[in-house]
Amino acid sequence: MPDFTPFLVAGLATAATYVLSGVGIVVLYRASGVVNFAQGAVGALAAFISWSIVERGGPAEWSWIGGIAAAVAVSFLYGRVIAPRLAYSDPIMRAVATLSFALILLGFMGYVWGEAPRRLRLPTDTMSFDLMGVRVTMTRAVAFALGLLVTCAVMAFLSYSRVGLQMRALASSRELSAMLGVRVFRVDGWAWVISGALAGVSGVLLADLQRLSGQALTFAVIPAIAAAVVGRFASLPATVAGGLAIGVCEALLTPVPIVGPFRTAVPFLFAVGALLWMQRKVVFVYR
Amino acid sequence: MTDQSLEGVPPIRAARLPLRGIALGVAALIALYVLPDALSNYWLRTFISAAALTIASLSVSVLFAQVGMVSLAQFGLLGVGGWFALRISHGLGVPFEIALLSAGVSAALVGLIVGLPALRMRGLYLAIITLMMAGAIQVLISAFGFPDGGPGILGKSTGARLMMARPLIAQGDGAYLRYAIVVTVLCYLLVLAHVRGRPGRAWAMIRRSEVCALAGGVDIVAYKVWAFALAGFLAGVAGAVLAGGVGQLDGSAFPASQSIMLFALTIVGGAYSWFGPIIAGLMLRAFPALLNDFRVDGNIATMVFGIGLLHALITAPHGIAGQLSDLAGRLRRAVGGERKAGP
Amino acid sequence: MISRQTILAAVIAMLAVCIGSAAYAADPKCGANTGKAATGEPIVVGGIVSITGPDNFSSSGLAAAAYFKCLNANGGVNGRPVKYLLEDDAWNPEQSSQVAAKLIRDQKAVALVGNMSFVDCGANQGIYEKEDIMVIAGVGVPRDCFFQKNYAPTNAGPRVSNTKAVMDVARTYPGKIKRVVCIAPNIPNVGEWSCTGAVAWIRKQGGDGKIIAFDPGSLDATSIVLEAMAFRPDVISVGTPKGLAVPIFAAAEEQGLADKVHFAGPASLYNPDFPHAIGKYWDGKVTVDMELNAATAGTPDTQNWLAVLDKYGQASDPRDTFSQAGYLAARVTAETLLKMDPAKIDRASVTAALRNVNRFESDMFCSPWYIGSGPRHNANHAGPVSQVKDGKLVPKPVCIESEDPELDDVHAFEKTIGIAK
Repeated sequence: MPDFTPFLVAGLATAATYVLSGVGIVVLYRASGVVNFAQGAVGALAAFISWSIVERGGPAEWSWIGGIAAAVAVSFLYGRVIAPRLAYSDPIMRAVATLSFALILLGFMGYVWGEAPRRLRLPTDTMSFDLMGVRVTMTRAVAFALGLLVTCAVMAFLSYSRVGLQMRALASSRELSAMLGVRVFRVDGWAWVISGALAGVSGVLLADLQRLSGQALTFAVIPAIAAAVVGRFASLPATVAGGLAIGVCEALLTPVPIVGPFRTAVPFLFAVGALLWMQRKVVFVYR
Repeated sequence: MTDQSLEGVPPIRAARLPLRGIALGVAALIALYVLPDALSNYWLRTFISAAALTIASLSVSVLFAQVGMVSLAQFGLLGVGGWFALRISHGLGVPFEIALLSAGVSAALVGLIVGLPALRMRGLYLAIITLMMAGAIQVLISAFGFPDGGPGILGKSTGARLMMARPLIAQGDGAYLRYAIVVTVLCYLLVLAHVRGRPGRAWAMIRRSEVCALAGGVDIVAYKVWAFALAGFLAGVAGAVLAGGVGQLDGSAFPASQSIMLFALTIVGGAYSWFGPIIAGLMLRAFPALLNDFRVDGNIATMVFGIGLLHALITAPHGIAGQLSDLAGRLRRAVGGERKAGP
Repeated sequence: MISRQTILAAVIAMLAVCIGSAAYAADPKCGANTGKAATGEPIVVGGIVSITGPDNFSSSGLAAAAYFKCLNANGGVNGRPVKYLLEDDAWNPEQSSQVAAKLIRDQKAVALVGNMSFVDCGANQGIYEKEDIMVIAGVGVPRDCFFQKNYAPTNAGPRVSNTKAVMDVARTYPGKIKRVVCIAPNIPNVGEWSCTGAVAWIRKQGGDGKIIAFDPGSLDATSIVLEAMAFRPDVISVGTPKGLAVPIFAAAEEQGLADKVHFAGPASLYNPDFPHAIGKYWDGKVTVDMELNAATAGTPDTQNWLAVLDKYGQASDPRDTFSQAGYLAARVTAETLLKMDPAKIDRASVTAALRNVNRFESDMFCSPWYIGSGPRHNANHAGPVSQVKDGKLVPKPVCIESEDPELDDVHAFEKTIGIAK
């Protein structure tokens, strides 16, 4: 029986980044009905910009802010310029359109930065404490705390702020909300900003915890989508639980022989299982 | 959130299919006789891949245009078909045709499993669940790797790698391209037979309304499962054609993201038209090859691809094929108008 | 007045030229070194590398391109220039086979030189054998690159490289190294294969070894490191491409492992950026294998390689071990072509001439290199190692011969051509 505690501790931090991305995806989907495949690519852009600022001798704090601001800007731009043109097409087409946005970002990052051995360093990397016999760096602790804090903040924002209320209205019915005077594009814009910021934070953290690579960070969106699926693209607490469960299970399976090599399938199994469970009764689509 | 995939679906044009069939036949004959001799070897190999991808795109369009279901797992099924084709060809030394068919059948079985959730859901959820299955297939393929001539179930060689045997009548690239085109035409005929027969009518009803279909006595479960099996079969055949073209396959070439690309380009090409999948196949393989031939940086090519895809999604909901047929219709009207204006 | 000014200008120009050439005392030497540009009918030589994709894997091809440029400026192949066509396979076997058909069948290349790819060897083995074209690769990675009649890489390959790195650590700490963990990506024909040499060697010494093959798509480096530590190793060899190695070292740093275990890695980590990328923590704690002598060795051929790149390459071309390999591949091909009758250079004659290369020396190699007519090629199996120190990779002055049992047939072949005694 292998000792699972170190894997549990390691998995929690990764899981937190899935949670951050997953929450961003859910918030955006609820407000504007777009499943954002570009969440990972936007995060990668944030990480690359942070890295560039640090490489040029810039202060670390500004580098994160710069990276996250870039992520917000890019996400907002897409939400304001491209997304409205697809507002009346099928939800799948809208999702596919974000994939092409991810491709554009991926090509851009590949062209500007290329693939080289890189790692984004945060000052919190050198601080650490011992927990259950495993050394935990401050970055991991911060990632985990951020994952929970941000989710609470977003939930409070949705429940108590006016924009949050309007977002929930949009989630129920876009047309009715528009008729009642909700400024759809403005609220949409807020959703894209929140999603961009969460993508940026998650990208910077992932680039530090794992590696700074355009391809890898772009496709880290898959576990985040799986987490969102667990939350039915609607429930934030369920998304958080899903993200944590996926990240931790993936890490815990590592030392298990035979199953170990297949552990990357965990997000997919979770998502498929969750979907099947949710739709366990036969339903017909009336139209 | 309503599923709007049915908006703008044209009524079935079964009556006009013979004309299309003839056009397709003529196009195939031209492709068969002229193309292989006119192409350089680089383009020969590119078009072999494009032919395989055309079949794969056809499998997506069968599900999407006929039954109204979205599967984002078809490229993964292509990998499954390629895996079985390689394993059977290396392991048993059977002729290519048998490897091709068994690849189709095994991918059809896997496709059936992928399609099971479709009995319960559709729209975005179905798309996402199939995408997750594509991801699971990707993990399996990259953990097992593709067979390369060794013994055992996995067929991993410890010495030199073996190439998959091509059909006896098509050893060279030119002959193999002709072979691939014939296989593509046969796949089209298979789909045509379904669309014009009982399954086509049942699918049309399911697409319109499942309740109506049920009331009309259509066995929804059977016909949905059948559609997924057929689509899986086509994807498997595509995988075998691809494996025969290259001689081997690589595990990293079948990520889940490619399945989304295949779906996206099928839509961009035009899923409702018979030449949509051909456009999709060419865009997936010939277009990047063209950019590479012009020495465009691969990263720039990715960006161009993304921009083109976005543009097509915004401006051409019926795909390039839809735009082309609109153009043809306008021309026909213009010509007709002239005739009327004449004496 | 005008004529006087013209003369003055001419004198100044001549002076400038003299000073300029004096400054270029370390002018690169290529081929016949005539200094005259070749103008005859071009000889087509191709190369396949992976530029786009998970990693930019092209430095070998870029070095070969620079060498051929230099060759063309210095008389070419007895007056005929080499037209070097470099193609990108984007880590995709399909595209690799397409560009191979383009180079070999459409462009009628006489040989391929400086190849560097994970997929080329496997995807194109068929066409190489069918067309009987020799590939003098810069860098072979998967097993297929070392088990072909028509593929001769100048590098040693990850398997030899891993074995050497582990052997060096074991020799530096005699009697202390008993258990080895080798981490590799589960890319077919690369991962397991690249590690089994080191594991077989340590088992032969009475120790034990374990291979951890991970999915490069999965990012969890900490889990991988923890899994490695569960085996209680004395040395961990990180046998991955450099981009994947950085997070693994970062995870090990987080766990503070450098004081508990020795770390080593194959030549894929031998890159000037690498010590900087993994950070100061690893100073003096990582042994990195080198397939060829150090870029900073200052020996004549190394200097020439750098001079060729400075004058004919781009400033952005990497000066790493793979670049050396590409340079050597281009050099051996050029020198073979120079010995041939320039009118009778075609694919068959070039293949035959290259197979006849039974000895090729460079001060970058520890022992003479060869191509030979054997059924497989792995001529480079001895080389130095280096250590990460002060942000640099400092070479150790040793030549380590890989004691991998898989090389037995290669040693036997070397006896027949008089390389080994």
